[in-house]
Amino acid sequence: MTDRYWLIAATVTYLISAAWGIYALGARRSASTPWHDSVLVLGLIFSSIFLYERGEVIRHCPITNLFEVVAFFTWSLVLTYLVIGPVYRMSILGTFTAPLVFCLNFLALVAPIDIPTNRPPLGWVLELHACLSILGFGMLGVAALAGMMYLIQERQLKRRSLDHWFYNLPAMGQLERVHRLVLKWAFLIFSGGMALGFFIPHESTLDWVKVFWSAAVWLLYGGLLLAPKFLPLSHKKVAWASVAGYVFVLLTFWGINSLSQDHRFSLPTDFVAHPVTMEAAS
Amino acid sequence: MSAHLVCGGLTFAEAPVEVRERVAFLPHDIPDALTEMKQELGLTEAVLVSTCNRVEYFGATNTPQRAAESWPLFLKNYHVLDTDVVLPSFQYQDEQCIAHLFEVASGLKSMVVGETEIFGQIKTAYDIAQKNGTTGKWLNRLFQSSFAAAKEVRTHTGITRGSVSVGSVAVELAEKIFSALEGRTVMIMGAGDTSEKTARALKSRGVRSIMVANRTYDRAEKLAIELGGKAIHWDTWETEAVDVDIIISSTSAPHYVLTREKLLHMLKQREARPLFLIDLAVPRDFEPSVNLLDDVYLYDIDDLQSIAQRHLSERLTEIERSREILKPHITRYTTWATQQLEPHNRLS
Repeated sequence: MTDRYWLIAATVTYLISAAWGIYALGARRSASTPWHDSVLVLGLIFSSIFLYERGEVIRHCPITNLFEVVAFFTWSLVLTYLVIGPVYRMSILGTFTAPLVFCLNFLALVAPIDIPTNRPPLGWVLELHACLSILGFGMLGVAALAGMMYLIQERQLKRRSLDHWFYNLPAMGQLERVHRLVLKWAFLIFSGGMALGFFIPHESTLDWVKVFWSAAVWLLYGGLLLAPKFLPLSHKKVAWASVAGYVFVLLTFWGINSLSQDHRFSLPTDFVAHPVTMEAAS
Repeated sequence: MSAHLVCGGLTFAEAPVEVRERVAFLPHDIPDALTEMKQELGLTEAVLVSTCNRVEYFGATNTPQRAAESWPLFLKNYHVLDTDVVLPSFQYQDEQCIAHLFEVASGLKSMVVGETEIFGQIKTAYDIAQKNGTTGKWLNRLFQSSFAAAKEVRTHTGITRGSVSVGSVAVELAEKIFSALEGRTVMIMGAGDTSEKTARALKSRGVRSIMVANRTYDRAEKLAIELGGKAIHWDTWETEAVDVDIIISSTSAPHYVLTREKLLHMLKQREARPLFLIDLAVPRDFEPSVNLLDDVYLYDIDDLQSIAQRHLSERLTEIERSREILKPHITRYTTWATQQLEPHNRLS
């Protein structure tokens, strides 16, 4: 499909952004420049065009297979950064976002996961449920990156090794504020997406595998937000949990969806013994 | 027309402070001194820079030799010095002079390499000269080019990066821990000189309140008044410390004043707020293992001094990179100046 070219263009743009960020950090230059943000804006435009064109072609919200879900997910990561980064003067977050987005898009492009599916109209509740959930996951990703930056800065200060990371990364107080803020919004959006899931009519029994997994993720992040209010929990531990929780999400997302009845993605025919029809993708 | 750019003067590199202090100009004397200097040195344009580390002139002239010879005489006459006083002054001309100003404005020739105060001082000197009508096309272009060059050096190198004194390192670290220092509370334990300087540096960056605890209450009170803070009795410091963000200690206690056990008890009441501990005492006041606790950041005097020293070394390694950045700026000015001297461009 020609719409893939837009995602390729976006991926190349993210690669340029990631390469610049890595070079700047290595060369002890400021990685945070307006130029750097402009490249990410360009990448977001390309990604948006891809999602729009794909949506036009399949007449659905473009989340009908794993390829589209990854593209939507990375789009939400970049969008979240572009909202948070300039507002909180945290352009360095873009240096962390770009490599992650590039890797995910690249894997989506090279893996045989862009399988067209013929599906009936999904209905707005299901589409909104899926969109909000993926957007929430994207935002949780940005929160994890902010948490990772906090941990790096914390380590620098504890070890008294003030190298160029120390100067390029924002202050810990600022990182903590942004981390909490993104976590809060991500959690609210993810909760909205989850809640909508209960309003989707089910022909068979509830999709317990996905329900349990989603509930575990929801409880983890809910706990991270609420625990510091009741326990003397250092932000270092919150940041660790946020990063570890997100690694867990990234590693289990595909597997859980494969086990799930309603959230299964199509696979190439030579990957499975019995062709699977996707009931829904989110 | 003016065919040559000239500059000269005394800096910390050539002249000791005993000499520099005798030839320095007070800010309100500079306008008059400029007019006098311009006349005596035979300059068509002139700027006079006078700071604690340098007294320098920059000018445009057709008679560079006269300017060089008249400079020490002008200083001696203006400051009424004996004729036998030796003024170890440097003199540069044309491209050397351009390079010198660009390097000075960029902080490459400062006593503390990379300090940015000199940029403001040169800007002020130029503004005074401009207001007094002693600048023209040569010096206007020269100084404006030097400001652009200095900004580029600051942006693209690490020449200004990192603090180079104990107090400023402590401020830098505090700002990295707390983001902003506005509204933060500092406790000083012991009334040492470095503690006081560090507290002043923190206060200048927005610290809200300062508490001083000393075994002798009178000394605590005296320092608290000087810093605009409040004195507390020594036996209450542990209770008061629960609410502070930064503790600076320089007591003469032979043992740890703050142990891990005491701090653990304190942390339970702090709701996971970060605590920055600055231990300036020898022997140390804070048990080193407290740095292993979450939300506690401990730096002793050696840590702060070695960071300051490392920053200074890093700045020195940036000098050559900075000079490379300055080269095209120097060439651009020289090319422009050469064009101005071509017959059809001779306006002044």
